[in-house]
Amino acid sequence: MTTSQDRARAMTTSLDRTAVTTDADVVTRMARLRHEFDHSFAEPVRRHDEEHVELLAIRAGGHPYALRLAQTQGLHPDRPVTPLPGSVPSLLGLAGFAGTVVPVYDLAALLGHPVAGRPRWLVLPLGTPPLGLAFHELDGHVRVAADAIVAEDAAAGRRGCLRGMVGLDGLARPLVDVPATRAVVHALAGHTIEAGHTTEEVAR
Amino acid sequence: MMAGRTFGAKLAAGFGLTLALTLIMTATSVLALRYVLVTKDKVIRIASTSLVEAQTLNALMERRIADYRSYLLSGSPEARTNVDRDRANFLQQINRVRAALEDPAAIKLLDAVTAAEATHAKVIDDVMAQRAKLPRTIDVRELNTEGVRQSRETIQNAIVNLVTRLKKVVDDTREESSTRAMWSIILIIGIGALLIAGSAGVAWRLSRDLRREVGAAVGHIQSSSAELEAAAAQQASGGRDQSSAMNEITTTISELLITSRQIAESAQRVSKVAEDTAEAARNGDATIDETRASINAIRAQVDQIVQHMLALGEKSQQIGVVVDLVSELAEQTNILAINATIEASGAGEWGRRFAVVAEEIRKLADRTAGSAKEIRALIEDVRGAVNTTVMATEIGAKAVDTGSRQFDDATSSFRRIAQLVATTSDATREIELSTKQQTTAVEQVSSAASDTARASRETEASAVQTKQTAAQLSTLSGDLLDLVGTGRH
Repeated sequence: MTTSQDRARAMTTSLDRTAVTTDADVVTRMARLRHEFDHSFAEPVRRHDEEHVELLAIRAGGHPYALRLAQTQGLHPDRPVTPLPGSVPSLLGLAGFAGTVVPVYDLAALLGHPVAGRPRWLVLPLGTPPLGLAFHELDGHVRVAADAIVAEDAAAGRRGCLRGMVGLDGLARPLVDVPATRAVVHALAGHTIEAGHTTEEVAR
Repeated sequence: MMAGRTFGAKLAAGFGLTLALTLIMTATSVLALRYVLVTKDKVIRIASTSLVEAQTLNALMERRIADYRSYLLSGSPEARTNVDRDRANFLQQINRVRAALEDPAAIKLLDAVTAAEATHAKVIDDVMAQRAKLPRTIDVRELNTEGVRQSRETIQNAIVNLVTRLKKVVDDTREESSTRAMWSIILIIGIGALLIAGSAGVAWRLSRDLRREVGAAVGHIQSSSAELEAAAAQQASGGRDQSSAMNEITTTISELLITSRQIAESAQRVSKVAEDTAEAARNGDATIDETRASINAIRAQVDQIVQHMLALGEKSQQIGVVVDLVSELAEQTNILAINATIEASGAGEWGRRFAVVAEEIRKLADRTAGSAKEIRALIEDVRGAVNTTVMATEIGAKAVDTGSRQFDDATSSFRRIAQLVATTSDATREIELSTKQQTTAVEQVSSAASDTARASRETEASAVQTKQTAAQLSTLSGDLLDLVGTGRH
């Protein structure tokens, strides 16, 4: 009985402390948020745009990656994917977007990780033909300084989907290059890349 | 045969046997005397009647002959009548003799006499008929008297033979009688000898039994009296010991009396304490009722707390649902903002401005999601706390229940204690009363012990007396043994 009373008393004390902490914290946080909100509209647009890169922090097959937002044309959660019979394990099936049927590939399989579970998120890369890349988790949408990205020369003859690396919250994330991924997909599907849509152009 | 009988019975049997033998002897003597008397009577009767009557025959015959000769001489009718009368007398006498006779030979001889008389009568009738025809005075020699003499001798001889025979019968009878008298004497002597022998045997047997049994009994008496003497000595020493023990008992009982008085006082004090305790128990009863009411109130409060805590848990769950909704909305806003940013990046200068707005929307959505996560965590904390509280409260409720039960037990124990105290009070009063009675009883026991001590002393004196008496008895039995003749001491 003594133990249970002690536990109840400890719990009550903990709740009180949390409440006190939260009260003070919330006021500070609200003030900071309001300040940041107001400040964001006060900044000049050019600076805002040129010195930063928009990234999507994702997880595919349990590994952290990042995508350039500029290389995509849409992000969608929980889209129904109709499976297709075939010998390509990374092809998950077909999904419909605004009247267009799009093949959906598992980004984790393309990156060489074993397929683990059904991916929830779909990102549509830029370019044609339309394509869907599926991944498991979205860590968030971040804006990083351009010099935080360690670039890698795409012309170095490197094959695969990854180009460069970015440090986010103390964690180094490989950058998934969407055009390179598209090239990998096309190679799997037996297509050739059109002249006007090279990786470098899209990146620019 | 006489073993196991009393000595008196043996004496009676001995004297009885002697008496019976005496009676037999007396009876036998009487019978023998009577037998001899009868035999002698018979001899006398034969001698006095048969022999006398037979000799009377002879006299009558002589008289008849005389009258017959007288008639022959005188020839008178008177003489004739005498002759006839004489014959009639003779015949009567013969009949008397016949009546008296028993011997067949004598009867035969009497028949011979009768026959001779008939012959003789016929002969003399013939002679007397001749005489009647003659004159009064005659010469007798004129008469024919041949045959008279012969017939007269015949009859006289027959009578003599009869008498001789009768004499012989008398002699024989007398000799027989003497012989029988002699045998009777021998029988009486024999029975007398038997009687003497039997009496001597009885006397010897009685004397032997008297020596043997009375001697043994007296020997037993002697040894028993010796034992009795020893026992009396032991009893005397036991009586002395008992007397001293009774003195000790009397002392102990006096101490016991003092102790029981002290116990009575203690019991009185205990009774007072028990009454005080009962009073305190009655006061405690009221306190118990109040405490019970308090416990019931606590139980109700605890139940209410549990209900409220459960409601709180339910509410926090509802808050969680709403927070989930907010999270969902934040996520969708975030996706919208991301897509808006993507769309804006392809829309030139206006797009860049719109991207700023989208960026802010995204940030807000991020923060909303973060806040929702914090709220979710807080709700989980609250639910955990509620669960812990409910658990603790239920444990508390159970503790209250247990406490209530224990209190009930304690209450019942308390009431039982109160009852027991009441019982104890009663018991103490009983003990007090009993102790007083005990004191009285102990006093009585004390007096009884004194009496017993006196009785012990008297017992001792009596044992000494018994010892002396036993010694005298031993001496007496020795003397008796000398008297009986065994000579044992």
